[in-house]
Amino acid sequence: MFALRRPLLVRHTLVVVGLLAAQAAAADSHSPESWLQRMSVAVQSTSYSGTVIRVQGGKTEALKVAREIQDGVVREKIAAQEGNGLEIIRVGNEVHCILPDRKSVLVEEWEDQSTLFSTLPSSEIRFGNEYDVAIVREGRVAGRDAVLIAVRSHDRYRYGQRIWLDVETAFPLQTQLIADDGSAIEQVKFADISLNEKIQASALAPSYSTENFRWFNQPARHANRTIETEWSSDSLPQGFRAIATHEEKMAESEEPVIHILYSDGLANVSVFIAAADDNEMRGVSQVGVSSSFSLASGDRHITAVGEVPPITVEQIATGMRRR
Amino acid sequence: MNDAIRMQISAFVDGELPDNEADLLLRRMGQDAGLRRSVAEYLAIGRAMRGEACWAGVDGIHERVADAIDDKPIEPQLASEPDVRRRSLRPLASVAAAAAVAMLAIFGLQQMTGVDGVDSPGSVATPLQATVEPDYTVPQGISEQLREYYRVHGATATETGANGMLTRFVSLRLSEEQLPLPAEDDAETVEQDIDSSTPPRQP
Repeated sequence: MFALRRPLLVRHTLVVVGLLAAQAAAADSHSPESWLQRMSVAVQSTSYSGTVIRVQGGKTEALKVAREIQDGVVREKIAAQEGNGLEIIRVGNEVHCILPDRKSVLVEEWEDQSTLFSTLPSSEIRFGNEYDVAIVREGRVAGRDAVLIAVRSHDRYRYGQRIWLDVETAFPLQTQLIADDGSAIEQVKFADISLNEKIQASALAPSYSTENFRWFNQPARHANRTIETEWSSDSLPQGFRAIATHEEKMAESEEPVIHILYSDGLANVSVFIAAADDNEMRGVSQVGVSSSFSLASGDRHITAVGEVPPITVEQIATGMRRR
Repeated sequence: MNDAIRMQISAFVDGELPDNEADLLLRRMGQDAGLRRSVAEYLAIGRAMRGEACWAGVDGIHERVADAIDDKPIEPQLASEPDVRRRSLRPLASVAAAAAVAMLAIFGLQQMTGVDGVDSPGSVATPLQATVEPDYTVPQGISEQLREYYRVHGATATETGANGMLTRFVSLRLSEEQLPLPAEDDAETVEQDIDSSTPPRQP
């Protein structure tokens, strides 16, 4: 009898486990983490065109954008709708910046596959104790159903984010960078967008004839190599860790510069350690949402740069010590 | 600097200098830091007179394009795209003139504060909802070395797969572009949207 009941128990157990697993899978598919994972795929694989409104520092600007992937090659165009009509044309890794008012084209090669909208937490991001991630609500952005994902920082050492994802594709329709007081310090938002529709060739082509333009190329970035370093910060904000250390040759420095990249999984801070120079910058500087802090330390000049609050780069830079 | 040069600079910043003369002026700027400063001052004065914001870096394009023009023989290079092939590419003398840098320029060089305590370390970027005009400064507030640090940081951080957009924004922002003030209607629309979507405060 007992021998007959055991298989039943096993079967029942398997059914219960299966149901629980299915429920967990269903719940997981609706988790904020799963949305972000879908987003990280969408920003790499989605073709789109539309109008982007960017707001920062009380300024608003409009951009026409288009991006298409054909045979694995990314074609992208970004055109400012104000100012002097700057345009960026990207084909694969090659990027052309067209300056119509100067009749010049700057050419640069990008090694990475990042896109304009790939900045957000990727699937590699680990949300530890430094951030909470949550689904806030659903809404409409650019005429499409969207879900709002909030990435909230626990402290003042990093910014949070709000991301509106397209319900159908998980493509980010709107993003905001959030300061520790809850205010949005930068926003990028689609006013209108077409997703995964055929993009006309003209939408990806320069608006100007560059036949008589002068062409300039950015010299390739100096080769850098991974190194071990004696330098580290003894006052890293919680969650930050060194994820890469390079030695780089830079145009403005005769000696190679040590470059340590710290990350908390979402925010990145670079620390550059160079030979001291009387003309070096000191103190804090801000460019948009990015901050830097520089100081002298013996015969070295240390600079921390990152998309974090100024207090973070200052704390990391001032904590740099040679073991 | 004589009056002829001053008049030439004035015409240049007003966009009234013929192309051939503008080319010559750019070449001179590439070799004359004093001339570059003068042009930057004229540009800043012009914007101030027009009541426009003074965007840090806006003068840099002239400087960096000028820097890029040198007397070295042009060395043809083949790029990966047909549009570039058979064109002569001149190496940029300044790393800050990168196309990537210029790309972020599209997004506008935002508030660039100086060093040595001009801003307290605890200050943060201007809130989106700010109604007070930010205090824009001229590009001399940032060194070429710091520009390169921003650029390298942007490229490296992007390669890690995180924060690509933000880092691109910042490194591209280190170029130049003067953008008009936002239309009031647009600003109101965006601000209303933001106000209505403020998430609960963090614990």
